[in-house]
Amino acid sequence: MSADERDRLASEYVLGLLDMEEMRRCEERLARDAGLALQVELWRARLAELDATAAPVTPDPALWPRIEAALGPVAPATPRRVARPSRLATWWESLSLWRGYGLAASAALVLLAFGTAQLARQAAQAPVLVAVLLSDQNQPAAVVNAFRDGRTELLALSALKAPEGKSLQVWTLWDRERGPVSVGLLEAMRNVELSVEGLPRPAAAQLYEVTLEPAGGSPTGRPTGPILMKGNASPTETGI
Amino acid sequence: MTTLLPALEGAAEDVLAEDALAEALRGCARGDRAGLQLLYDRLAPKMTGVALRMLRRRDLADEVVHDTFLRIWEKADSFDPARGRPTSWAFAILRNTALNALRGEGRMELVGDFEAIEPASEEADAETLVMALSEASALRRCLDRLEPARRRAILLAYMRGLTHGELAGRLGVPLGTAKAWIRRSLLTLRECMT
Repeated sequence: MSADERDRLASEYVLGLLDMEEMRRCEERLARDAGLALQVELWRARLAELDATAAPVTPDPALWPRIEAALGPVAPATPRRVARPSRLATWWESLSLWRGYGLAASAALVLLAFGTAQLARQAAQAPVLVAVLLSDQNQPAAVVNAFRDGRTELLALSALKAPEGKSLQVWTLWDRERGPVSVGLLEAMRNVELSVEGLPRPAAAQLYEVTLEPAGGSPTGRPTGPILMKGNASPTETGI
Repeated sequence: MTTLLPALEGAAEDVLAEDALAEALRGCARGDRAGLQLLYDRLAPKMTGVALRMLRRRDLADEVVHDTFLRIWEKADSFDPARGRPTSWAFAILRNTALNALRGEGRMELVGDFEAIEPASEEADAETLVMALSEASALRRCLDRLEPARRRAILLAYMRGLTHGELAGRLGVPLGTAKAWIRRSLLTLRECMT
């Protein structure tokens, strides 16, 4: 990217002209292109005065208590946990971008889910934790099984494939301070053992998700693309 | 402070205010809620104004401000004073949150509101915005160099968070023309402000 192209992208990003997909690509690039980040800062500084011209509006008195409640209990171990999800659909949650790629029809999914669960039951001991990963349309798209010995597998319930130049990346999150950790990289959804070596044993409510990333995985080590499916682990009756 | 010229006094106060905000952000990074509350008290009224200007709906604007402060809280430890002022860092988060809301699923609901806006009032809005900039502002001086229609395009894009395509529709010109106008205008602004 030439200096001129960088400046152009930075100016259009700061002005707010980019559509969702362009914004996403720009943010991906921002994380690894210091030159672009600098141009963005310069454009922000140039245009910041425009925000200062907005007439101040007294916030709704109920807003601050709501923000404070969403920060969660103050506990030294997890001082900055944000407990309550937002009411706004953000781009990486909304997935409208993704609908075109589509998951298999739900009837097929149910059959597949049944079949795969049967296989899993025969193949190994019962998992101690199971997470059903749902698509944005609340369709089961994958199951994550975690076993007593820490082994964790992902069973695909959809035939989702990454488009050209993209990969599907599997993440898990058990501690917001640490952030999401990559546990797998796929070109298409399939049954796979997740790379959880060195990670703490999975716990109840641990989040698993699959995001769309550039081919070869997120350049930042954190999810940058839309979440395709996600779910939290629940203990099975086998117990942890 | 008394030794400073009046014009500089304002600037010095700004610096002190920004220092207090930077300290508040460091507080947030340590998990100190008082830091977030200070940021909220100082920034929320203006942020609500900016969000309202972009989203045109009070309930959505409040939601954007809500989400913005949660993100400030979560991201406070990534604030780097070497890379910009706390205010511009916080407003970048606000604008991003608002743009995501505009572009996200709520967007369809907004279309009706957008269309209800009289073009004449937007024109007036854009001019009012220029007038609201300080006389001494370089941005104002440089915006004045642009043709009125092009100045309006830039201001509309920023104020309303319009995409290239939406802007072209609003201005009644082809997409390529809108992109070229914006690019030329931004180049003029950049040269003028450097």
